[in-house]
Amino acid sequence: MKPRIVTEHLSRWYGNVLGLSDVNLEIGPGITGLLGPNGAGKSTLLKLITGQIRPSLGRVTIDGQPVRGRTDLFFRLGYCPEQDAFFDGFTGWEFLYWLLRLHHFSGEKAAEKTEEMLRLVELEADAYRPIRSYSRGMRQRLKLAQALAHEPEILILDEPLNGLDPLSKRKMIRLIRDFGQEGRLVLVSSHILPEIEALTRQIILIHQGKVFAQGDIHEIRDLIERHPHVVSVKSRNARRLAAWLIQQPYVVKIYFGENDDNLFVETRDRDKFFNFLLELVAAGEIELEEITSPDDNLQAVFDYLIGKA
Amino acid sequence: MKKIQVRHDIQYDNSRMKGSLFLSGIRIVFQLSFFQGKRSKKSRLFALLSFSPIALALFLRIHQTLSPERSFDGLYFFNNAILIFIFQFLILVLTLFYGTSISTEDLEAGTWAYLVTRPIPRASIVIGKYLSSLILAAAIIGTGLIVSFLILNLESLARISIYGYLIKDLAVLWLALMAYTSFFTFLGASIRRSVFFGLIFSFGWENVIQYFPGSTQRLAIIHYIKSIIPLPSSGRFSFLTFQLEPTKPAYAVLALLGISLFFLVLACLIFIYKEPRAED
Repeated sequence: MKPRIVTEHLSRWYGNVLGLSDVNLEIGPGITGLLGPNGAGKSTLLKLITGQIRPSLGRVTIDGQPVRGRTDLFFRLGYCPEQDAFFDGFTGWEFLYWLLRLHHFSGEKAAEKTEEMLRLVELEADAYRPIRSYSRGMRQRLKLAQALAHEPEILILDEPLNGLDPLSKRKMIRLIRDFGQEGRLVLVSSHILPEIEALTRQIILIHQGKVFAQGDIHEIRDLIERHPHVVSVKSRNARRLAAWLIQQPYVVKIYFGENDDNLFVETRDRDKFFNFLLELVAAGEIELEEITSPDDNLQAVFDYLIGKA
Repeated sequence: MKKIQVRHDIQYDNSRMKGSLFLSGIRIVFQLSFFQGKRSKKSRLFALLSFSPIALALFLRIHQTLSPERSFDGLYFFNNAILIFIFQFLILVLTLFYGTSISTEDLEAGTWAYLVTRPIPRASIVIGKYLSSLILAAAIIGTGLIVSFLILNLESLARISIYGYLIKDLAVLWLALMAYTSFFTFLGASIRRSVFFGLIFSFGWENVIQYFPGSTQRLAIIHYIKSIIPLPSSGRFSFLTFQLEPTKPAYAVLALLGISLFFLVLACLIFIYKEPRAED
């Protein structure tokens, strides 16, 4: 699918401090998670994409057009900032209404859309209360509502799940996923791995201003050749299986779990390993109860890439 | 939680909209900024401050009532006390705080991103906010000026000619607000700690420079205001309105309009390239 957001050699310094370095990305429709620890450069990247700041080097385009100086591009763009900031003294209704007006909606249409969005994020009962009296979850939902209200084709969310309680988080995740399923582009940042895992498998890993990897979490995992995959195999013939496996050149380590029937295998070539396993099963040499990849998750990938593991 | 319903009936005609984005942006930002401004604590404080000329007028009026044997010239007191207070203090304070906040308050409050990620040219944001600050400051100071004028000239209210002074004062007030707000908008957009430097400018530079001979005094905005304001050049308070070489009124009006336009354009240009700092 044709990428909508493209960055080419995108770099940004804040004085002598590096914010982002030589970032080349192509982001297409669907939900993409931007993952990295605090200070990794996620917000800088999102600010560059939304034209809030200029690149020191390189460029960023949306649908082939540079963001800076193209005011009309913002009709297609929704942005939810990380900061917990709102216009002073505003109620939830006023906040949404005025931000819709800034999207050139007429007063009547803006009021209508405001009501609709407040219903969507379940804030209609609190619409006329000052935002300062809202809980963190309510404020986050209101921020998301302002980004969604004008029905943008591209949604940029900077840490939208930050500080939410589990229930609010679940609601927010559902909202974002619903929006992403409409074939639009959603780029959502987080420093918390399970949050991104709950939203998407398509990720961009960023650390110290550099993009370490982009793509499907499994594809990224496969790229990390220096780190073997760990596969957990449950079988009544675990010891016999271990004897077979240890002869294979792509198996680097075998160890047993708490139970004798649980075998952990570290392999450099997952495909060859699984093919071999299938051959053994087909030949009736072993019986398998369960196969899982305990390290095939975002945390493991992330740890490998930033050199923790 | 409901599923998002995509409504395809809302279609933007970008080509039609593009040409009017600038003007439409100014109008909407003005409305938003005015809505915010009229409820802000800052405006409430300034409204309270604008009562000081009224309080002063009331004090003079009560004093005159208690001492009827003394002669009382309302216009004299208005020109020598109220106008000086308004033009040499109140306008400077209001325009300093309104003007410098135009491009800084949203950055400081973290609401900047909401404005600059909308289909509104950045220059429209500055101009829209500038206009709302101007209207608010004019409403606040204008009320104080009109009411204190009426209080001090109660006996002369039937004379039509007296309103000529009032209209002229209001016109000069408007020009002064335009020029100062524009200058402080530029200051706020271009430097940090703009309020501090604005205070130095207002109560340092603007006061000191007018005592300089030659054309140096023309480097102060107050010089042009004093060239058209109907302040008396003699009397007990004349030292407050001291001016060596006034500019001709027509040139002074043009200079104030020029200053307003020049600094507003500069502020817009700076704001177009303005960015939040790393710590923001």
